[in-house]
Amino acid sequence: MEDSPPGSSPDSNSPSRAESFDRDRHVFFLQMMYQLMPSQYQGQEINRLTLAYFAVSGLHILRSVDSLHKEEIISWVLSLQAHPMNEDLLNDGQFYGFHGSRSSQFQKIDNGVWMSNGSHLASTYCALAILKTVGHDLSVTDSETILKSLKNLQQPDGSFMPIHSGAETDLRFVYCAAAISSMLGNWSGMDREMAKEYIINCQSYDGGFGLTPGSESHGGATYCAVASLQLMGYIEDGLPSKSASSCIIDVPLLLDWSLQRQAADGGFQGRPNKPTDTCYAFWVGGVLRILGAYQFIDKTALHKFLLTCQSEYGGFSKLPGQLPDLYHSFYGFSAFSLLEKPGLHPIRVELGIADNAAIGL
Amino acid sequence: MNSHGDHKMPLSQRPEWSDVTPVPQEDGPNPVLPISLTDDFRETMDYFRAVYLADERSPRALGLTAEAIALNAANYTVWQFRRLILESLEADLHEELDFVDVVASSNSKNYQIWHHRRWAAEKLGAEATSRELEFTKKVFSADAKHYHAWSHRQWVLQALGGWEDELAYCQQLLEVDIFNNSAWNQRYFVITRSPLLGGLETMRDSEVSYTAEAIISKPENESPWRYLRGLFKNDMQSLVNDPQVLSLCLTVLKAENVSHVFALSMLLDLLCHGLQPSEELKNAIRALTSEAGPPGSDLARTVCSVLERVDPMRINYWKWRKSTLPSQVV
Repeated sequence: MEDSPPGSSPDSNSPSRAESFDRDRHVFFLQMMYQLMPSQYQGQEINRLTLAYFAVSGLHILRSVDSLHKEEIISWVLSLQAHPMNEDLLNDGQFYGFHGSRSSQFQKIDNGVWMSNGSHLASTYCALAILKTVGHDLSVTDSETILKSLKNLQQPDGSFMPIHSGAETDLRFVYCAAAISSMLGNWSGMDREMAKEYIINCQSYDGGFGLTPGSESHGGATYCAVASLQLMGYIEDGLPSKSASSCIIDVPLLLDWSLQRQAADGGFQGRPNKPTDTCYAFWVGGVLRILGAYQFIDKTALHKFLLTCQSEYGGFSKLPGQLPDLYHSFYGFSAFSLLEKPGLHPIRVELGIADNAAIGL
Repeated sequence: MNSHGDHKMPLSQRPEWSDVTPVPQEDGPNPVLPISLTDDFRETMDYFRAVYLADERSPRALGLTAEAIALNAANYTVWQFRRLILESLEADLHEELDFVDVVASSNSKNYQIWHHRRWAAEKLGAEATSRELEFTKKVFSADAKHYHAWSHRQWVLQALGGWEDELAYCQQLLEVDIFNNSAWNQRYFVITRSPLLGGLETMRDSEVSYTAEAIISKPENESPWRYLRGLFKNDMQSLVNDPQVLSLCLTVLKAENVSHVFALSMLLDLLCHGLQPSEELKNAIRALTSEAGPPGSDLARTVCSVLERVDPMRINYWKWRKSTLPSQVV
């Protein structure tokens, strides 16, 4: 790792690597991952699109996405889209989105039998996020199929199931549905009123949101709730005082709960009395940004904490001093983007992609 | 997990699989983000693809799904196919829960495992209740804040029942760790949703007492403070008028060498919702101000100023709270 000769630093008193955000090393880390993910990730093979989203969108936040072959990425992502064999099948109860990887994608086989498709809401969100990030025009994508079949996944309580063949339903997939609809600029695939009711039912007595009604408030679930409400147009932009009085959720309590997640070591925890963890700097920080309250956190303390999770190999770990992983690296970069680190693209918090990708620049 | 000794025999060398031609993964010309797969992983999934495409719902296919799950428990296609096989074979779902016990013992933070468990328990119905409650208890003995296990437990209670001992169980967990926010959340779940208790308002008084005791023992513990507030959800007026709550705040504020942050924060909310402060309360706050503040300045502003000092991490928040106090607050 010693690639620069001793004394090459312009100032021998300049901060060591551990004391500053090491962008170049992070780019290197992501590029290595992009070329070949180590076999520890094989257990996530089914979520390959999600892993690709972390790598591609991460490189974009680091302003290094131009090093990638965009046409290759676009054709690979589009090749994972599920298409019904004919228009009538759109009403067969299935969801036609994107497969997470080839291993859930079974095409028409020799004898003409169509194996039911395994496309997934989270993979579909990641596919569209990648396509936007590499500048693919989503209006040329077959979005009708996605939107029409998205309806099949919404449950009577307003929540979403991620795959039509059955799985757990919770706020994560409400968020995916909202982000997909927002990116496609078309809300015909979901009933926003029902989704809103479900989200309201997930707000806990302490102001945060649990993944399902009744479950414990959690930073990630709270992000899904607040970002979805923002995307669906139920939260006004601006200062918390403006949105508090007329809002459909209890904003003052949510604000207090979210701010209290910054712990004594400067990092954010996902739940009260739990250890701090890199990713909540984004999940909870993002909630505060959407609520217009990010300026209330102690940015210096957060900055310091995040650097204790920065790896000497590039990337970020979950907790200080551990080995880095792709997931926590992506949310570490996102957290530094929220902190307005120079050299990083600003992020469109509620979509989880860089600002300029969100508006299609 | 397998009957082939310490080193798993490759599927290609097992006689019982000799009639099956594995189906390799077609990754296309320019795959993005390739993953370095172990030989074992690759081969197992190639055989899985073969039985899946042939829709072979046999005991050996069931065994193969177990091997595939051991390698990638996140693969929902494998789990889904396993359920189809179990249904076709009319398998004993108690045995299936045994299988999930084993999978979960090494990798329990995975949504698919819990969805599968719920599927099996749902089919078994009420006869699965006690087993599922015991199973989650076992998980909590290693990780008392396990999110998936708590979700599962709440589902079991709501779908299958078993509420009888739930409040006592929460109590027991809180005795072990009063900082366990998951146990506090479960307590709230029980008092608001159990069909055996009278609901939030019936339980309120005794719960306030219980919570006050927990707070006095550890005033820096956020969980019971939030719980206390939750006991008055959508009923701020009762919170403001509750003598127990006010006296609790006073007790904590008068105590030395303890954190006053949550007591002050609660008091601020009470003042914002119309609490008329007694002289005793004013004196208790005055005692906390380092410098002699301007006499007669309103109490809520003083509380904010104290919070700025004792909770410097959120100094900008408390300043903002001070600047946005409702005008009628004393």
